[in-house]
Amino acid sequence: MAKKSVWSDNRFWQRTAGWVTGFASVLLIWLTFDTSAQISMGTDTDLQNGVTKRVPGPTVINYKIAYEFNKKRQHEIPVIGGMNSEGTSAFQEKEKFFGRDDWSEEEAESLLHLGKLASQTKNCMNCHTLLGNGGYYAPDLTKAWLDPAWGPEGSMQAMTSKETKEEAMAEFLQNPSQYPTHARMMPNLGITAEEAKGLVAFLKHLSSIDTNGFPRNFGKIQGAVNGK
Amino acid sequence: MANSYSKSESKKLATWYFTVAAILFGAQLLFGLIAATQYVMPGFLFEILDFSVARMVHINALVVWMVFAMFGSVYWLLPDETGIETVGIGLGKLLFWVFTAAVTVVVLVYLFVQVGPADETSLWFIHEGREYIEAPRWADIGITIVALGFVANLYMTGIKGNRSGIVTVLMADMIAFAGLYLTGMFYTDNISVDQYWWWWVIHLWVEATWEVFVGALAAYGLITMIGAHRKVVEMWLWIEVSMLFGSGILGMGHHYFWIGTPEYWWEIGALFSALEPLPLVAMFIHVLYDWGKMQGEEDAKGLPHTVVNNKPAFTWFIMNALGNFLGAGVWGFFHTMPQVNLYTHGTQFTSAHGHLAFFGAYATILIGMMYLAVQGKNNIKILNHTKSSIWAVSMVVGGVVGMTVALTLAGYSDVIISRAQMGATWAGYFDAQSTTWLVQGLVWRLIMGVITFVGFIFLIKDLLSIGKATHHVR
Amino acid sequence: MNAMFEPFVDVVPSFFATLSQGPMTLTIFLHTVIILPMFWIYKQEKARLEQEEGN
Repeated sequence: MAKKSVWSDNRFWQRTAGWVTGFASVLLIWLTFDTSAQISMGTDTDLQNGVTKRVPGPTVINYKIAYEFNKKRQHEIPVIGGMNSEGTSAFQEKEKFFGRDDWSEEEAESLLHLGKLASQTKNCMNCHTLLGNGGYYAPDLTKAWLDPAWGPEGSMQAMTSKETKEEAMAEFLQNPSQYPTHARMMPNLGITAEEAKGLVAFLKHLSSIDTNGFPRNFGKIQGAVNGK
Repeated sequence: MANSYSKSESKKLATWYFTVAAILFGAQLLFGLIAATQYVMPGFLFEILDFSVARMVHINALVVWMVFAMFGSVYWLLPDETGIETVGIGLGKLLFWVFTAAVTVVVLVYLFVQVGPADETSLWFIHEGREYIEAPRWADIGITIVALGFVANLYMTGIKGNRSGIVTVLMADMIAFAGLYLTGMFYTDNISVDQYWWWWVIHLWVEATWEVFVGALAAYGLITMIGAHRKVVEMWLWIEVSMLFGSGILGMGHHYFWIGTPEYWWEIGALFSALEPLPLVAMFIHVLYDWGKMQGEEDAKGLPHTVVNNKPAFTWFIMNALGNFLGAGVWGFFHTMPQVNLYTHGTQFTSAHGHLAFFGAYATILIGMMYLAVQGKNNIKILNHTKSSIWAVSMVVGGVVGMTVALTLAGYSDVIISRAQMGATWAGYFDAQSTTWLVQGLVWRLIMGVITFVGFIFLIKDLLSIGKATHHVR
Repeated sequence: MNAMFEPFVDVVPSFFATLSQGPMTLTIFLHTVIILPMFWIYKQEKARLEQEEGN
């Protein structure tokens, strides 16, 4: 009599399914603990002590933020407060945000809280992508704070007649359809002055998150593009 | 018989669920058309019904119609599988009305309130602004209660009646399905933590629990429609569960490449998610293999009959096997590696994958279930195609495949110009948007969307009328 | 052979980041851990089937 093969036996596959599912689930939960510890938000003390966090504390808005290629990790990383000799954040160089570089932890937290709430209640994610996730109808906002278009050489400060990046962004967010940059415009979402300030803080904080080099070559290449 | 339509309240309830699902499917397509039109004519309904609102309704209607059709499918197959009437059917009916009313209110608020001030009240009563699970918090709680009631009915029926392999898989799967929704309900200021848990709902639904659900439906369909042998079908189901959960659960890592999470997700995400197409290949082969085998057995008896007793439903099940493999498997595999995903993440290419994957993996098989319900309701032995059923499947499938191809082409310039060349800046984004490939691609997408919608109208007409046609075997 | 043991490159040290020093190690480790117990399940089920057939 021919022996039945284990490979065509239901019980074998049922147990395999149980094992594989169980193991994958347990490993995912373990990894979640590991990752959660790594992506918890940093504090003002971390920034002052030069501790690099993947997601820095809200007071990162007091610092200059850049996005530079790191030789060790072989991709761009957020560089906060100037670069040290190892090519990572020095946490030294400050940058004024709405005229101040001494936002306290509480103030910065409440500004970020308002901005994150606004990013959800104004439904940013159904047109824009944040960290690459969302809609594809408008530009990615992961590093929007560092976008050359909003910088001193960019068109947006002149268009909104503002002196600084943050004021230009806040002005645009409150009256987007007054400043069209493309046939596809951002609609007026009833964003108040305070909410706009929060949103800009949210965007500045967003640009300081370590995204493992996404997006690559951000703002490095400008000018004409072939293929039109 | 406990499982005939006239005797089974469970099957009646299933048809209610299918009806609402079909209406929401229509809403999904309609708002998709509005959003697609806005890509081509940006002034269309500007500051009246903006893209963000149209897209929110488009993707929420998608998720909700599928959940309705999934609940309907379970209520339809439970009496057949367990041999008894579903336990707690009164509760099931009550929850159906609660769910339908809640969805109606949510959609009306989306359309007529749209956005609120930046505070918690907006999150509770307008929407949460988190793609796919925008539903406001009051509705989150409602959905959880409805889902738990549904799971309770499934468990009570499974424990009391005959617990087949299919029912066992469904019981394990649906509790995870309901439980996972809880991970997407809380608010945090930390967007990395926010997106980490957001994927627990989105990914573990569509790339794990929903796929296993589809495996169970395909198993049920093969037994019901072509008389496939239960032992063989259930063995395949367990193999599919092993492969789907084995690759899909840790495959979630492919969403953790760039959201602030550690670099080790590159390896975990890439290597596990690269295996995700395997079960989809297996399901495709399994369905076609069983079909050939059962038809061969029939032919060997010298009988000229087809072995398929519901041709429209079986056509949609075959489209599912193919669409799941192509849309979720191939289009997903295209960009699951971090070295590719670095540039394709968040582009029209993702959109191409999303369209074919959701349609191929879920819409097709759920439409197939609706045809099974039409057959059962009208007490038909062999349900044949009508002209409308053939037009419906051709136009809907052709339209979605056309949209996918158009979006893939549009994705080329999105990926190459806005991401690879220009590094995802504001200027780079709009440079890509004005390229020929993208502009033409999005016009073609709209054309293909219209074809899909016309196909949908044929589909509804057919679902309402096919039962009355006279060329079926009764 | 030094290149086979990379110094730590991720931001924050952790157990999994340590396992993933070289690009292959984490992957091989995890896949192996999943597959190995299947041999044990296989043997158990084979024994069961043989016993059933013996009866």
